[in-house]
Amino acid sequence: MSDPGTLALAAAASAAVEIPTGDGLATLAFIGESADWDFVFSNADYLGVGALLTIGLTIASILLGFVVGFPAGAVEVYGDGLLKRVVSTVGIVLRGTPIVVILIVMYFVVGVPQINLGVASISSAMTAGILGLGLRSAAYQSQIFRATLSSVDEGQLEAGRSIGLSRFEAVRYVVVPQALRRSIPGFQNEFTIVLKDTSIVFAIGLAELLTRGYDLFSEQTTAVLEVILFISAIYFVLTFTTNRALDYLGDHYAIPEGESA
Amino acid sequence: MSDDNDFLRVTDVSKWYGDEKVLEDVSFEMDRGDVTVLIGPSGSGKSTMLRCVNRLAEAQEGSILLDGEEVLSPDLDVDELRREVGMVFQGFNLFAHLTAVGNVALGPRRVLGLSETEARERAEAQLERVGLGEQFDSYPAELSGGQQQRVGIARALAMEPKLMLFDEPTSALDPELIGEVLEVMHGLVDEGMTMLVVTHEMSFAREVADEIVFLDDGRVVERGPPEQLFDRPEEERTGRFLERIASHD
Repeated sequence: MSDPGTLALAAAASAAVEIPTGDGLATLAFIGESADWDFVFSNADYLGVGALLTIGLTIASILLGFVVGFPAGAVEVYGDGLLKRVVSTVGIVLRGTPIVVILIVMYFVVGVPQINLGVASISSAMTAGILGLGLRSAAYQSQIFRATLSSVDEGQLEAGRSIGLSRFEAVRYVVVPQALRRSIPGFQNEFTIVLKDTSIVFAIGLAELLTRGYDLFSEQTTAVLEVILFISAIYFVLTFTTNRALDYLGDHYAIPEGESA
Repeated sequence: MSDDNDFLRVTDVSKWYGDEKVLEDVSFEMDRGDVTVLIGPSGSGKSTMLRCVNRLAEAQEGSILLDGEEVLSPDLDVDELRREVGMVFQGFNLFAHLTAVGNVALGPRRVLGLSETEARERAEAQLERVGLGEQFDSYPAELSGGQQQRVGIARALAMEPKLMLFDEPTSALDPELIGEVLEVMHGLVDEGMTMLVVTHEMSFAREVADEIVFLDDGRVVERGPPEQLFDRPEEERTGRFLERIASHD
């Protein structure tokens, strides 16, 4: 249970977590009662289920955010008239509303139903969580794509048109591939934000990682620090590995830079 | 189809940007296989005139007949027009995310509907034509300016255009790189390509042009064969412009 790898993780996480105590961070590194660590590790599976929920919520929300946010960003750059005004207004409202309010509105006001997928069903709280986090992410992702789409030089589009591509094709084959590559750094931020914000679904009763941690240290109140360190380590591993993966993706697909016109 | 005497017939073309008139009643004609060079001070409207021919800029008045078809007609399919009219840009405007082959193959693949293999073969043939047989898989940023511009020419040629537009193709190049681009353009002239060229390269213009059109302030001041326009300009403004240019050579 207390294998060195896990302890090292807990120690690494402690550097990132600030705990209000008189002691310095140095003494925090290996702090904790072994009885409390035992309690944490014996409940690791309980926290593990929460972590899976966190991962599932994050992936579903990021995907929904991309599917909705990318076209929304494109409309803000290339669209006009009513559609553009509606898209940009909805974006402003979503970005200006606290995520906890969005989630409560989705769950208690809109009252999204349970979704039955045959093999499994998604509870209405889960659906509300994905919709709330996903649409809010769409609002932010649309701004990432709006910025990167408009950052591609006008001459690129013009050159595309000059060989006979339609406007849509020139955007599709010339501008979008360049804009997507430039979106990766912004996307890293967005991923981290969504991952951490999944903890707010406690407001609609979903037991994700942080909520389950809260349950645990309510049960054994001496183990607050150990539980927090443990789940922080999980959050850290998740954000660290995805960011490294996105770094790799960014390097792999990078457009060679130079004195290109 | 029309007879060769008016392959491209530009008649009284005018264009405004807001209140500012940038082209005023511009007229000239080209036969098939002709090379016409537009010269003039910067801001004279020569690039704008060129861009009106493939509708990257919209002329508000006048007529541009290409092979008997009215280019300025609102019913014209501009994508169809641009398929047949190649353009080479001052700033190259190569697709930054694609290799040399990718740049040249995009049009044949997506516009002409060739298969991946056919498009690639055509792109390689065009790159060899402009002397870039060794650079198939280089990205624009990995190429010199002269090489980039030659990719730009190959990209336009891959569509097998009936008219090529060159918008100051050597103006963004370091002096030592201009020659290789002009050499490629020379080759096209020898092959009989119909070319409308905006350039400040006067010796090139003198060598290859069938007609020189001198524009100033959006108007055609004078036009004629190079030996007449360069050696015996009739208009004072033409002479002054040529002197200014010559003093920079």
